[in-house]
Amino acid sequence: MKTCKRLFIYLIIISMVLALTACAGSQSNVETDKGNSNANTEVLKIGVIQYAPHASLDNCYNGLIEGLKEAGFVEGKNIKIDLQNAMGEQANSDMIAKNMVSSKYDLIVGIATPAAMSAYSASKDSGIPVIFTAVSDPIEAKLVKTLEAPEYTTGTSDVLPLEAQIKMIRAFLPKGKKIGIIYTTGEPNSLSHLESFKSLAPKYGFEIVEIGVTGPSEVASAASTLVAKGVDCINNFTDNNVVNNLSSVIHAADNANIPVFGSEVEQVKNGCLASESIDYISLGKETGKMAAMVLKGEKKVGEIPVALISDSEPVYNEEVLNRLGITLPEEYKNSTSVNE
Amino acid sequence: MDVFIGLIRNILEEGLIYGIMAMGVYITYSVLNFPDLSVDGTFPLGMCVTAALIVNGTDPLLACVIAFICGALAGCLTGLLHVKLKITNLLSGILTMTAMWSVNLVVTDGRAVLPFYNMKTIFNSGLSELLPKRLYTYRIVLIALIAVILMKLLLDLYLKTKSGLLLRATGDNLQFVISLSKDPGTMKIVGLSIGNGFTALAGSILSQQSESANINSGTGMVVMALASVIIGTSLFRKIKFLKPTTMAVFGSIIYKACLVIAMQLGLPTNFLKLLMAVIFTVALVSSNLLKGGSKGDVEIPQ
Repeated sequence: MKTCKRLFIYLIIISMVLALTACAGSQSNVETDKGNSNANTEVLKIGVIQYAPHASLDNCYNGLIEGLKEAGFVEGKNIKIDLQNAMGEQANSDMIAKNMVSSKYDLIVGIATPAAMSAYSASKDSGIPVIFTAVSDPIEAKLVKTLEAPEYTTGTSDVLPLEAQIKMIRAFLPKGKKIGIIYTTGEPNSLSHLESFKSLAPKYGFEIVEIGVTGPSEVASAASTLVAKGVDCINNFTDNNVVNNLSSVIHAADNANIPVFGSEVEQVKNGCLASESIDYISLGKETGKMAAMVLKGEKKVGEIPVALISDSEPVYNEEVLNRLGITLPEEYKNSTSVNE
Repeated sequence: MDVFIGLIRNILEEGLIYGIMAMGVYITYSVLNFPDLSVDGTFPLGMCVTAALIVNGTDPLLACVIAFICGALAGCLTGLLHVKLKITNLLSGILTMTAMWSVNLVVTDGRAVLPFYNMKTIFNSGLSELLPKRLYTYRIVLIALIAVILMKLLLDLYLKTKSGLLLRATGDNLQFVISLSKDPGTMKIVGLSIGNGFTALAGSILSQQSESANINSGTGMVVMALASVIIGTSLFRKIKFLKPTTMAVFGSIIYKACLVIAMQLGLPTNFLKLLMAVIFTVALVSSNLLKGGSKGDVEIPQ
């Protein structure tokens, strides 16, 4: 009897919620129509979700602001930008995305793959356009159908200039045979980079020795394992975990007197020998221009092709170069040194 | 107003889905008195199993059930490590959590993120198709609510059975269980299986809602679940007709509400972790104060 009573209470709760939501549902439809009609005169709200605190991602955001400014959208004047950092947690990122959708933002920008995915899945029913940046493989993440006609979302993709990078390593180390790589198994970008790097290696006569790690504590031991395996250098991708623990990698490499190659200028500043660097600010700028197109109503997100940015510029660290006793290759004489 | 309703919907969606996990952690933490850290591993396990199954065209409901079973097996592993191999409770949880990382990677075929956008999930097939069109935006809340109520009723029913009573006794009074010539170790394994099964189910439902699974999603789950249980059971302690399982779900909703309010008030996300710790502390302290208060009343006349 008691269970019957309880069941009855639950049924009442469910039906009450149904009734309430039904009222709310019909009400909200009316209000959205109103919202759309005076959207042109109001300040547009842009939500930005950055997945983690990270120097390159910060540069993406700064570039985004610049790109928007160039297209005539200025923060505080005709747009209001809400930047939220998910602190590297999926649960936060999902929550932020949902809140932005509920607050009826006019556009959501996701910086890095997980943030873009949260934004896309949260906004699917609402029709709020989503633009991503710093997503290495948007097709694998199912954010777009094809790069030319993305359909769901669009944005900019940072394709690491892996071929240029391996060419550079060959130039710096003409006798090198083995490249050591540390990657984090939980980072999708690192995995796809590793695969393409492996397929490129034989062309330049290199062999790849890779070690997967699961967390920050394993980076140092992975680095010394690589050194013990006799690699001629260590190469980093944009792996967040490895980059954040770069000093332990460099320390292990220094002990064996071998160089570490980075994937962006910030890493070279921190002690990597050299890198073919993507300019994340211009990546962000490109994204800002796309965002402006969508905000002006010129194009829908699905119609703008994904922009792949792979133009890179070689940079090197002169101090490290001298310490390791490596001479700067002829063809990289004109590249910039971070020490200047 | 519209924005407000939307935010409440978000809180309910998240609170209810994580509420299933909170119920599971209630079993291990409050009933069994077992601080179970394997939750950090079984939550993404539920996600990954579901994603892998749905990508291969499995029925979403079946995927939920399989996720529950996988979670229960992982919980069983924690129990076996603790009971049979005599490893301390914290360590056996950590061992399972660590092992699950590799298991999850195997399940997702080495991929850290496994999206399954626009595939069949419990939120776009079956029951949700029966809902009227204008309730479409509320389908997640409704289905999560139904799932929570269903799981809560099942758990309440189980706790009333003989086995359920023994489970509760295992946490309260070990000697009593032994005096009944029952094995408390078995009950611990059962309890951990249930707890982790619930956690994996929450992971499964959440992944179907976001239509993707992420290997890294387990971080911070133990804290979130524990905070939910503690907030729920301490705030609603005085309300007699509420079962602790319901309190855990309410705790989870309140926890999410605090986060959303903080975000809406413009608290920088850098401070979210600090806020979590503060909410946690307040809940713990208030539960101690409430307890202390009632004891004080009794002690004065002595």
